[in-house]
Amino acid sequence: MRHLPLPRRMSSVIASTAVLALVAGAAAVALTGTAASADSSGSSRAKNVIYLLGDGMGRTHVTAARERFVGLDGRLAMETLPAQGFVSTYAVEKLSGQPGAADFHPNAVTDSASAATAWSSGVKTYNAALGIDAKGTVAPTLMELAKKAGYRTGNVSTAEITDATPAGQMSHALARGCQGPVYSAAACQDLAITGTALPTSDVRVTPIAEQIARNGTADVILGGGLGRFDAADETALTAQGYQVLGSITSQKVATKTDLAAANGAKVFGLFNTGNLTVEKSKLDNPTSVQAQEPTLPEMTTKAIALLTAKYKKEKGEKASKGFYLQIEGALIDKRSHANDAAQTLGEMKAFDDAVAVARDFAKKDGNTLVIVTADHECAGFNIIEKGTFTNAQAATPPANADSGNRANSSTPVRPSNAIDPSRSTGIMNGAGSADAKNFAPATFRIPSDPATVTDGSPEAGLWLTYLSGNHTGADVPIYATGPGSDQLQGSVDNTDLFDIMGRALRITG
Amino acid sequence: MRAVTRRTVALTVLAGALVCAAVGVGISLAPMAASRDAAATGTSDTAAPADDVVMTSFPGLVAATGEPELASMTALRPAAGSVAEASGPFDDRFEFDALSFDGATVSGAVRITSDVSDLLELEVVAGFYDVDGTLLGTDRFVHHLGDEVHDGPPVESEAFTIAVPAPLAGRVGAVAVGVPVLVNE
Repeated sequence: MRHLPLPRRMSSVIASTAVLALVAGAAAVALTGTAASADSSGSSRAKNVIYLLGDGMGRTHVTAARERFVGLDGRLAMETLPAQGFVSTYAVEKLSGQPGAADFHPNAVTDSASAATAWSSGVKTYNAALGIDAKGTVAPTLMELAKKAGYRTGNVSTAEITDATPAGQMSHALARGCQGPVYSAAACQDLAITGTALPTSDVRVTPIAEQIARNGTADVILGGGLGRFDAADETALTAQGYQVLGSITSQKVATKTDLAAANGAKVFGLFNTGNLTVEKSKLDNPTSVQAQEPTLPEMTTKAIALLTAKYKKEKGEKASKGFYLQIEGALIDKRSHANDAAQTLGEMKAFDDAVAVARDFAKKDGNTLVIVTADHECAGFNIIEKGTFTNAQAATPPANADSGNRANSSTPVRPSNAIDPSRSTGIMNGAGSADAKNFAPATFRIPSDPATVTDGSPEAGLWLTYLSGNHTGADVPIYATGPGSDQLQGSVDNTDLFDIMGRALRITG
Repeated sequence: MRAVTRRTVALTVLAGALVCAAVGVGISLAPMAASRDAAATGTSDTAAPADDVVMTSFPGLVAATGEPELASMTALRPAAGSVAEASGPFDDRFEFDALSFDGATVSGAVRITSDVSDLLELEVVAGFYDVDGTLLGTDRFVHHLGDEVHDGPPVESEAFTIAVPAPLAGRVGAVAVGVPVLVNE
């Protein structure tokens, strides 16, 4: 890995690094309560950190997956971790200062890029930004710091590896859409931040695929997105010593067989030209090419094996201190956007199976911090009572005023109960709610249902619905075990995760 | 959503000049987040400089010199009056629908066949050929999801129209279209 000195010039539009100083307030982690079984030994230092991220996974996603797969009285693997709490996820507007600054302008609902930057770099930024603050200043990532400090590093996702969550650890970009394989001004520049177009040699407008292929930030890279990379990228990877599975040049995707045989100190394996295939589709089509893609738990198992294997060190290479591994279950979010509850639940199961792999490794290792959380909630996923409906499906929304009952009546904020077209699209699923193919409410059998009950039937025990097709601003759950996990008992902000993981690895203050 | 056809002519021979309006905007690196507390109190920090951690230049990587084109267009020789499809890196993620060319504009739609929760970026490049199949120049349709609010369920089909650039008027006999940029999730 080569690090070149940089000019510390400040542009007129990227005006201040003081913004980062002001984020210090957010570094004070708000802690509430303690968990008897969480690690509160006083040591927050760990040899390894495994950070698992269910993209779009809200509290209800966890509950629904539990009820679906292990029953109402069961527990998912993530729910067995002793430290549990919630994470606030808000973003900020473009050019905003950090929390506490006079020019702080929060945005209640984050996207995956802003959220990834929050835990990866410890700063709030605008939606679409990666590895920079809201004024465009480059901010080092935990994975870069870990690599520099001598840790082995891994980045695994079921999305394209250039997608926001994995890219947040391995790139710095004004816009998440600048993924490659080629540069485009519309996708890469953001004049609202920089005022004028940046030179195309600037890292912030360099396609993310080109950055990942050249910066050596992650030793193990597993996921999708082969189509984002080209022959020059393969040359750059092999020159750094990566074992490239499949072929980038011929766009031949890697397979689970390739993954099983991988044994390099650095491994680059992409198993689909785009995002990986949803688990339900693979289950429905077991003989398809896509069914040869590895699952998230399989990639997790292999990533840990590769990161803990003994390798002959290159000249000048430091002895490995341990590893830092990020694992993303990306399709939870993508299928929640689509309001496809069946596929969402399948992705939740795969993600929780990956959590079990990490948990079991940590239990055996004894010195690994495992954190499981999400970047944001997606789609307002919810569990409704059997036989009921959502307000969005109601022909007549509930009234806010009830003249016949003083106890229920107050002055409504809005003057009318009519649908406001600027805020509501109206009844989205009303006329089609009787069609079983429609997604809301979607019904699923649970383990305690009688054997005759089937998915999609009104008798099924789990009724699921969605509020929207996009992200929500709800806090997300967090689960943790291992050294320092007690810091995650209660409520924290997503930028606090940078500090907690950084301290665990002794790479931040 | 903002969907525009870029009117700043992208004649093949001129395409490179447009994007590199390089300006003197230097990269500023945030102090290491590890030193945020110290910075907040105005004390000097002792953390390692960020520029020792972040790789901000890539030796050997040739920086882009223009808007993305499709190399496959130079090898095509579409028949007069036709609209050909030029291959690109994302051909397994979309289908072209209703392609047509009336002598003045090429139009059609890109129907995304992979995940569509958001269509973040889409560029359709049109190559304009004379009646002998010689490439004369290109222009493009650009869709960029900016700060706009979502206005409903994700749209899987994006219609586009690209006009023949004025300098090529009257000389175009065939067209090819392709997609060099596509980011959808």
